[in-house]
Amino acid sequence: MARGRHQPREKVKIDNPWPTIKRIWHYLGDRKFKLILVLVLVTMSSLLSLAGPYLLGTIIDELIDITQSTRLTQSLLLLGTVYLISIVTGYVQQFMMIRISQETVFSMREQLFQHLHTLPLKYFDEHQDGDIMSRLTNDIENVSQTLNTSVIQVFSSILTLTGTLVVMVTLSIPLTLVTLLIVPALYFGMKWITKRTRVYFKHQAKDLGDLFGFIEESISGIAVIKHFSQETNFKQQFTDKNARLRESGYRAQVYSGFIPKYMNMLNNMSFAVLTFVGALLAITQAISVGMIITFTQYARQFTRPLNELANQFNGLLSAVAGAERVFEVLDEEQDYTSVAHPYVKELLGHVAFHDVSFRYQDELILDRVSLVAKPGEMIALVGPTGAGKTTVLNLLMRFYLPENGQIDIDGYDTRTLSKHQLREPLGFVLQDPYLFEASIMANIRFGNKIATDEDVIKAAQKANADSFIQKLPQGYQTILKEDGKGISQGERQLLSIARALLRDPQILILDEATSSIDTVTEVKIQTALKRLMHGRTSIVIAHRLNTVERADTIYVLDAGKVIESGNHKTLMQKKGFYYNLYKRGFEETGS
Amino acid sequence: MKTIFKLMKAYPIHITIALIFMLTELITELVLPLFIGRIIDLGIRAEDLNQTIIWGSLMIGVSLFAFVSGIINTYFAAYVAQQTGADLREKVYIKIQQFSFKNLDRFQTSSLITRLTNDVTQLERFVFMSLRIATRAPLLIIGSTVMALFVNVRLSLVLLIALPLLIVFMMTLIKYGSVLFRQIQHKLDQVNKVMRENLSGIRLIKAYVREDEEAERFSKKSAALKDQTIFTLRLMDISGPVIMLVMNAAILLILFQARDAIISTQLDIGDVVSVLNYATRMMQAIGMLNWISMAYTRSKASINRINEVLNEPVDLTTGNNRLEHKETDSHLTFSLVRFRYQPDLEEALSIPHLNILKGEHVAIIGATGSGKSTFMQLIPRAYDPTAGHISLYGQALPTLTLDDLRQHIGYVPQSTQLFSGTISDNLRFGKPDATEEELILAAKDAAIHDTIVRLPHGYQTMIGQRGVNLSGGQKQRLSIARALVRQPALLLLDDATSALDLATERHILDQIKKRQTTLIMVTQKISTMKQMDRILLFRDGHLEADGPHQTLLHCSTLYQTIAKSQHEEVTPWQEADINLEKK
Repeated sequence: MARGRHQPREKVKIDNPWPTIKRIWHYLGDRKFKLILVLVLVTMSSLLSLAGPYLLGTIIDELIDITQSTRLTQSLLLLGTVYLISIVTGYVQQFMMIRISQETVFSMREQLFQHLHTLPLKYFDEHQDGDIMSRLTNDIENVSQTLNTSVIQVFSSILTLTGTLVVMVTLSIPLTLVTLLIVPALYFGMKWITKRTRVYFKHQAKDLGDLFGFIEESISGIAVIKHFSQETNFKQQFTDKNARLRESGYRAQVYSGFIPKYMNMLNNMSFAVLTFVGALLAITQAISVGMIITFTQYARQFTRPLNELANQFNGLLSAVAGAERVFEVLDEEQDYTSVAHPYVKELLGHVAFHDVSFRYQDELILDRVSLVAKPGEMIALVGPTGAGKTTVLNLLMRFYLPENGQIDIDGYDTRTLSKHQLREPLGFVLQDPYLFEASIMANIRFGNKIATDEDVIKAAQKANADSFIQKLPQGYQTILKEDGKGISQGERQLLSIARALLRDPQILILDEATSSIDTVTEVKIQTALKRLMHGRTSIVIAHRLNTVERADTIYVLDAGKVIESGNHKTLMQKKGFYYNLYKRGFEETGS
Repeated sequence: MKTIFKLMKAYPIHITIALIFMLTELITELVLPLFIGRIIDLGIRAEDLNQTIIWGSLMIGVSLFAFVSGIINTYFAAYVAQQTGADLREKVYIKIQQFSFKNLDRFQTSSLITRLTNDVTQLERFVFMSLRIATRAPLLIIGSTVMALFVNVRLSLVLLIALPLLIVFMMTLIKYGSVLFRQIQHKLDQVNKVMRENLSGIRLIKAYVREDEEAERFSKKSAALKDQTIFTLRLMDISGPVIMLVMNAAILLILFQARDAIISTQLDIGDVVSVLNYATRMMQAIGMLNWISMAYTRSKASINRINEVLNEPVDLTTGNNRLEHKETDSHLTFSLVRFRYQPDLEEALSIPHLNILKGEHVAIIGATGSGKSTFMQLIPRAYDPTAGHISLYGQALPTLTLDDLRQHIGYVPQSTQLFSGTISDNLRFGKPDATEEELILAAKDAAIHDTIVRLPHGYQTMIGQRGVNLSGGQKQRLSIARALVRQPALLLLDDATSALDLATERHILDQIKKRQTTLIMVTQKISTMKQMDRILLFRDGHLEADGPHQTLLHCSTLYQTIAKSQHEEVTPWQEADINLEKK
């Protein structure tokens, strides 16, 4: 299920978090023992933090009766030791936890990344890049932060809370009751506030999404806006949306700003009430001044985890939700794999489709397609958009598996070949070649990782790409911008041809660019392609007449079926679908 | 930071009120420990119930007062924060709108979007926090120290030593930390980059069986991120324990001091408790300060990125003259025009003289980088020429108001950009008050009317992210129609007919001719060139040839080569597809 990343995450709700938590637990691996050690340390420091206020109380009492006191120095030293140990254990547990969480996240991220490469292409068709990206970044980050802070905090909050309660009860029941008064006050107060904030946060999220969407569109379309001089109009819309966000944002912020103030007041009030009640009790000699001080400190220790627990728990749940989204990917079914075929050494490039059918999301895309390309031959696929031409290429590369029928290379069923055996003899030049944000050298070398610099330059020369590369400021070392922006589409084609040349494949897969390439570059591409196709089996989705005319066999596809095949001459004589296609195209050039 | 202060200055009353109430809240809070001391000395130890009641109710009253002040402070602080955030966003938005194309080249679209969204939000949050905490924490620290000294100088001297020690320590750590955090961010960007590339290039990676190499590349970057994060977090997390250590040591010292002072009966126990209480509050405030400084390091990057936009000098100014339509033959003239994109780059275009007549249809051809796009961009002043001038009806472009200039020109870029909304909305984009008839006329002339009528809701069909998807050719025709609605006198088509079949293109060109619009279009198709009055052939930034098809065939070898290659090679089958679909 693809969840959009812009969907506001209001309140995390999970039916059963335990399976996910168990899985995270497994991820910890050897780090489990370290985590247990951390929890032991947390227990220690939590207990010590309970001792602090108590010791302070006794010291105050001893200070009051200083003449009778003999153990004051001792108590002071004890308090110092307690402080020191709790600080040191506190840091050690943090120190260890940082490594535990970072390493866990590291292995999670790595596994997820590797797993992505084993997924079938279908997965990437069905999920937006943004969604997958957000799982790899936000969700994993969420898990990391939670592991880093929440685990320790939740654990120590619970310990401190129960510990404080136990100690307080043993010390003085009436004062404990007074301290507990804070619980209902906190509960109802927070309920009142969150009831309001939730509404306003929802408004704010909506207005924010609205404004951000508007910004995205108006910045992407800024050239059009300028050419049509619509700046004022857009500014007005922006101001309106901005004002709406300001209003809802203001409300949300005001109400959520109440929380710390309210907490603070509760703290001070409970302080006042405690001292007051304590004073009453002290006068009747039931308790000492030190005890009151102890209690005021405990009261402080009590409210903080109470408030934090709610926050941290929500954080914990959202991390579980994040981990679930990560595991969702890991649970995706992997792509078809096969071990290496023992007899296959080198393939010559005899490609054959036998009655291949393919269905995608219940729609029949290819219907019993058969075709043959002998070594060194060129076959052309033509037909209207949606006829299934691209699917033929995808099936040959085993990006998808056919539903029926068989695809052979040199007589071996492609399903029996390993990924390397199948794809290494294949080279590609596709319509919109992908380029990495790396040097031109590295981008061409992508076709063949062991190629030397000279090999790369030679391939570029053969691909007619050398001259434009030389003109770039850093030549072959020029770093291309994201997705190859900065060079023209034609030049990207040339680079992709160089990449394929460097690979020196037996079988070439080519999807001709439709248009939009200037005439001079077009000529360069054509001659480079001729060079590339020479002596190789080529399977071409053709848009150029001249390509089609050269093809050994033309397969005309319509609605997933091969309706005609043969060379240009025979098909023209047949006066069928191809003939019409050709005639129309030809007449309209006007020659 | 200055930018924000300037914006905040617009709300002096709100800021003053927010600050005043923050101060009252602060003062009342600082008074509380004093009362605690009193209640212990005068109430409990003196066993005086009345005193206990008096001081106790005073404490409750004071904390209620602090609460009310805090609430009022929140109201006004939130107001200023939201207002400032909105103002800042608007300022950045307006600034970007003023950008020339040259300015826009310097920033990537996606980066401008994040600056306007995430960065501003980050800042807004920071402003709100500052108004509540950043000013409060230092004041609380100073106030607590002063009050403690006021209660008992001897006991509190320790605090005076501990405080500067901690401040210096924190400052050093934060300075170092901001560098480290930036490195983390950088390493995170690297990891994300590999990820993004792997997602976009997944087909290529699969096809070339490069999974293992990519996994290794990712693993390296990811490990670097992990190590850097571990190191930084471990270092930065020292601050908390150190603050605790120093402050707890101070508390112990205070208690030691108290012992001696009480023995010499110089001191009441209530004072000890008060001073201890101030020390605890100080510790909390320092913790807060530490936390907010970390937040500041993070928002500093946002501030810089926003300032980059705001400080970018806008290098396009509008003229003041209105455009006068003169009854001359000549429409557009270039004289001694030279242009380079950057001073250190080669000249992209040089045209000594060019005169385009009214109603003329001109085709522009040439290789990539020959200057044809640059030529088109100069006309609507997307860029200004480095030397020479361009004029409309004899009026130099920079003297004209930008509104008039762009009203006069209909520009259809290579990549079609439509907006989410109905088809009508999109057609009306350049002329919001266009009538239904005007829309239909333009749509008919752009050969898109029939397609629109066949859509489920006709002209009211939603397009864009949540609407129907149009094919490349349909989008091109729609954006031509959008330009025609404005009835421009000069129409520029920057390779905007590449996805159209020839019959459709011819129809559109005929309609434009009927409208007597001057047309300049970039095209790759020789058959289109044949229909044009005149062809400008560009080569390496110069006009290689200028004239009608037949003339060029005779006198330009380059044109001959192109014509020949086209005759052989190019008949995009795609166009035939479209025709077949239409049948």
